[in-house]
Amino acid sequence: MAVALEAKNLTKKYGDVIAVDNVSLSVERGSLFGLLGPNGSGKTTMIKMLTGQTRPTSGSASVLGVDVIKDPVGVRGQVGIIPEQETPPSFLTAMEYLEFVAAVRKIPDIETKEDWWFDFLDFADKKNVLCKDLSRGTRQKLMFTQAFIHEPALALIDEPLINFDPIMQDLVKDYLAGYVKKGRTIFISTHILEVAEEICSGFAILHKGTLLHTGPVAELTARGEHLPSFFLSLVRKDRHV
Amino acid sequence: MFELFTNMVKEEWRVHSTMFGSLSFALFPVMIFGIALMGSFLIPLMRTTLPAGNLTLIIHANYLMLGIMVGGFGLLGNEVMNRRFGQASLLAFSARSLPISEKFIFLNFVIKDTVYYFFLWVLPFGFGYILASPFTGVPLEGALLLLLTLTLSFLFGLCGVFFLSAIYARSRPVLWLVLLALGVGIGGLAAMTGTNPVLFFPPLLLNSAFTWVNFLISCAVLALLFGIAIVLFNPESVGSEKTYRDSFAPLMQRFSFLPNPPLAAKDTLDLYRSGSLIGQTIFSFLLPLAVIWFFLSLLGPFFPPHGLLFIVAVTTGVIASTMYTWVTMFDTFGPYACLPVAVSTLIESKLTTFAVLQAIPAIFIAVVALFSGEAAYLVPAIVLGISVSFYAVGVMAWLCGLSPNVLVYDVKVLFVYLILVGIVLTIFTSVAFANPYFALSAVILAIPTWLLVRKAKVRWDAVDPGGF
Repeated sequence: MAVALEAKNLTKKYGDVIAVDNVSLSVERGSLFGLLGPNGSGKTTMIKMLTGQTRPTSGSASVLGVDVIKDPVGVRGQVGIIPEQETPPSFLTAMEYLEFVAAVRKIPDIETKEDWWFDFLDFADKKNVLCKDLSRGTRQKLMFTQAFIHEPALALIDEPLINFDPIMQDLVKDYLAGYVKKGRTIFISTHILEVAEEICSGFAILHKGTLLHTGPVAELTARGEHLPSFFLSLVRKDRHV
Repeated sequence: MFELFTNMVKEEWRVHSTMFGSLSFALFPVMIFGIALMGSFLIPLMRTTLPAGNLTLIIHANYLMLGIMVGGFGLLGNEVMNRRFGQASLLAFSARSLPISEKFIFLNFVIKDTVYYFFLWVLPFGFGYILASPFTGVPLEGALLLLLTLTLSFLFGLCGVFFLSAIYARSRPVLWLVLLALGVGIGGLAAMTGTNPVLFFPPLLLNSAFTWVNFLISCAVLALLFGIAIVLFNPESVGSEKTYRDSFAPLMQRFSFLPNPPLAAKDTLDLYRSGSLIGQTIFSFLLPLAVIWFFLSLLGPFFPPHGLLFIVAVTTGVIASTMYTWVTMFDTFGPYACLPVAVSTLIESKLTTFAVLQAIPAIFIAVVALFSGEAAYLVPAIVLGISVSFYAVGVMAWLCGLSPNVLVYDVKVLFVYLILVGIVLTIFTSVAFANPYFALSAVILAIPTWLLVRKAKVRWDAVDPGGF
């Protein structure tokens, strides 16, 4: 199967601190892949490197066949990204922000797409509100929309369900599952293991910047294991090491 | 109480030192002291064109304005911090998570602001003036009195903002009523006495004739304003959701001739909706330039003929170059990080918006030329001012990328900036002094400007785009 994303020996150092240490992984097209790890394990740094937001100290990576080091803007042009804790620009309204995204990404027929997303995520009543005045949940809806409005072949999402209420979480999980069925790829980073087990087809566990495990979720299920318990035992063992 | 107070002081220090660098910020009161000390020696010269009362008025107005600005920042602190540093909060907003009442935190906040800014702004100025007093013939009591009345001016600004914002948070109609009552009261007083109402400003009254009764009245008014502000204080925002009709698409259409219409439209909406375009134009551009023009006009006899206009043009150019900081102050890289936008594209777009804003300094220089009877040199003065502005912004973009608000306070960056800009200013001011029409030669600065911008784009594309 074709590869959507491939990282080879990726390392990122901030001074003396090694945030990501020699990580190699590959994600197939049409899969929903979960990057799991406790707080500070390097998940966000990994996503930042894969989307060209930060340069690796060493190693290489390609996303949809584009080299993230040589052409970071090209990568961001092809994928959809929801960064961790990022908010849309303060002084644009929700609708204007989507128009801004559409203009930068050169997305045609934006009005129809905007309307669909406002209805789907149930925030049409907020479309003329300044982004700085939106609640966290609505900002997350807006960031989710900007990541998917151009229907990218690959979306990279840092904590996809954070700030969503249970009803919205359910809706979004269904949307993500349907999205990969169309042959597109989703790469999520999360520490909510139950969600990962429910929606991911493949996963990798990162701890203290090191890759502890990577493989399909089905492999665990076949062994009668659950992702949360597998994750905890692996991380706890690594802590003792 | 004391622990909260000291932590708030530490927090205020860290906000400033993070923005400007510890050393640069630590030297700030020293700079204020130096300006006051040296400025005191200019008083005899200023008195030849400006009555002493007016000078006192200007200084007190400045400290009143400072109090207003400090109070305003305190109340908007969270918003400013979040724009600059990403997710951040201040201790003043911690009542939700700590077993301390909001009013108690606010009381500490007010005391912290008073003490902190007294040592940062008021005391260094007063101390400089006091130290110069034996040489300028000002009696020591007069210098000490100025320190007292400047402190009071600052406090009137600070507690005035707290008072009005506390009312605003409770009820907007009541705020308008209070403002109306103030206007009617001041207007009535002026009509009854036939005196400029500004002269009834308590610190000014005290400065012109100190009496203990007036001093106690000033203190009582301040205590009343602080008291009402603390009683009415409500840390929650009014909570209104601002809505706007879609202005982005039409604006982008209008900017279709620019290199990056969507980015230019976004910058324009940022400036307009934040109120910064008017606020910054008045407080960061027109007000300082008016003061500089006033001071430079005192030195008019020392310049060659027509020299004052070109000095004003060059100074306007340097101050106009800081408009680049206006357009970079709203963003973090975050919203762009998920889009196919390179740092060099953002630099280009911010510089485009900057270029549009250069209409403001051009108009200012034209007004100065017309008012000073130098209309014949209007074009060379505008060319000089705007060329200097573009050159200085080229240097700024090369040295600071998208973070001029932060990096320009880095001592090394500031040093290189001063050298590169200083040399050009000296050369072109001298050229303009030699012959006003030679100032047109400043267009040659377009070449180094273009090279600097090109280097800036390459340099900052190669660096991880952090927050700016």
